[in-house]
Amino acid sequence: MRVVVADDAVLIREGLVRLLEEFGCEVVATVGDGDALVEAIAEHKPDVSVVDVRMPPSFTDEGLRAAVEARRRVPGAPVLILSQYVEVSYADDLLADARGAVGYLLKDRVVDVDEFLEGLRRVAAGGTVFDPQVVSQLMVRRRKDDPLAQLTPREREVLGLMAEGKSNPAIGRQLVISDGAVEKHIRSIFNKLGLYAEDSDQHRRVLAVLTYLRS
Amino acid sequence: MRSLTRRVLLDTRYTLVGFPTTLIGFVLMVAGFSAGVGTAVVWIGVPLLAGTLMIARGFADAERGWLSDVLRRPPVRPRYKPVPQGAGRFRRLVNPLTSGQSWLDLLHGVINLPFAIIGFVLTVVFWAIPLAGLTYPLYGLVTSNIPGNTELPELLGLGDGYLVNSVFYVALGLVFTLILPFAVRGAALVRAGLGRALLTGVAELQERIDDLAEGRAAAVSAEANALRKLERDIHDGPQQRLVSLAMELSRAQRQLAKDPEAAQATLKSAISATRETLDELRALSRGIAPPILSDRGLAPALAALAGRCTVPVDLDVQTVERYQVAVENAIYFVCAETLTNVAKHSRATICTVQLTRVGNVLMLTIGDDGVGGAHVAKGHGLAGLADRLRAVDGELTVQSPDGGPTLIVAEVPCG
Repeated sequence: MRVVVADDAVLIREGLVRLLEEFGCEVVATVGDGDALVEAIAEHKPDVSVVDVRMPPSFTDEGLRAAVEARRRVPGAPVLILSQYVEVSYADDLLADARGAVGYLLKDRVVDVDEFLEGLRRVAAGGTVFDPQVVSQLMVRRRKDDPLAQLTPREREVLGLMAEGKSNPAIGRQLVISDGAVEKHIRSIFNKLGLYAEDSDQHRRVLAVLTYLRS
Repeated sequence: MRSLTRRVLLDTRYTLVGFPTTLIGFVLMVAGFSAGVGTAVVWIGVPLLAGTLMIARGFADAERGWLSDVLRRPPVRPRYKPVPQGAGRFRRLVNPLTSGQSWLDLLHGVINLPFAIIGFVLTVVFWAIPLAGLTYPLYGLVTSNIPGNTELPELLGLGDGYLVNSVFYVALGLVFTLILPFAVRGAALVRAGLGRALLTGVAELQERIDDLAEGRAAAVSAEANALRKLERDIHDGPQQRLVSLAMELSRAQRQLAKDPEAAQATLKSAISATRETLDELRALSRGIAPPILSDRGLAPALAALAGRCTVPVDLDVQTVERYQVAVENAIYFVCAETLTNVAKHSRATICTVQLTRVGNVLMLTIGDDGVGGAHVAKGHGLAGLADRLRAVDGELTVQSPDGGPTLIVAEVPCG
């Protein structure tokens, strides 16, 4: 995989580069601010970019805005955002264009190298990856008559894992149930929430779920 | 209508009673002041002056009582200088002379006379014309039959006779009845304005200063407490963990040569310890200044808080504006702290959070169906919140009977 790394902290940047190269990725560019990131993505068209949210000059959500801008210039360029904090409202910006190939993870997840690389691959392949913390914020019951309340605890678990962007086999492994059982739960969830699962396309299903949770 | 009548009568009473009172006060004060100043040389004047000032104070207190009615403000009384501890008889006697407000009282007693006269005259005139005009049909029967009596309509060339006079005077009376409330209000305000400037202006300032001083003290103590707590948290949490992490890593370094298997295990536990440290640091820095709040404002920040709360939260934010940093911070921390309390102590099954803007006040309302019993007493987390709110001129109200439900309302001015 060809990767662009964007982070203003040199320590983290170098750490990421070493980690990625250790696992056989090719880092084509490292940048330290939003404008440079947009340029790098436009120039190199990498398979995926790893981007820190906070970068100069504003040190707020610079990285996020640069990522959105880069995806406007290079439609659907895969971006994985890393952040010290995960908040739903940042996730909203990423989900605003329904093209997928986005990820949003807590920076600490990098420590779990396998999981981090798995997420990176999934974003590069056009999937959607969300941190469990974002999903748990999305799952907050916002209204008394929220259909989410009708879900069984098991179904809520499945829905959460789906929203994180996990595949059926991965959900099955995590909950220790068969693929068939996962399918059954998902069908039941879609019925209860009034969502229409017209195809088995993993990615579109995730987007449907996320869109529902954000509304 | 009733309130208008009441207002007119209050203003009327104020201007009518005010004139004789002011006159008496004027006479006493001018006489006392002149006599006092004239004889101050032979020391008799000093007690005379002090007495005069005390009389002025009495009249000023009466005026202040009326002012609160007329201006519809809570009654305020400035603080007069108390007699110092262990003062001698003479010092006690001349004490009124040392207080600036006493001299303002005297000044008011003297200057007030023309204002009181103007107010009195205006009120009497504006009551007299409607009364005389509207009752003309009664006494006009007599007056219009007096030979040689020329009435106003005739002078104006409108004709004469009982009927013309009656219509004219009643119309005049009606017009003046309509003007009456405004005229009387104006008459009252002329004098009340002077009274407010001289008698309660200082008191209002003193009250505001007290409020501000209290708010500042609250802010300072809230900040000091927050810093102490932060230091303790850093010391107890991340610092300890990093020390133990360094020890683990040096152990792993030793093990690498002897026992690679054990080194693997040690490194694994070091990695998970690192992750816990990161979690703690994140929680700490969120507690100092949550980035989401400064980046995106209250609505997303409160949503994030609600999302992290272990009790289901029903969130309703009806304002998307950005406010001053201090205001946003205060609201956010009240919400954060309260939700923490709900999760820890309330045993609630549902919690509602509502943020609305009412005029120039932001209102945060947090309710839960838990066991209640929350207080703002010292030592509870809520006391710190009350301090935090006082620092931004805000207020905290807690209703939490034993057995619940609990309702906490924070109001912060955001004008």
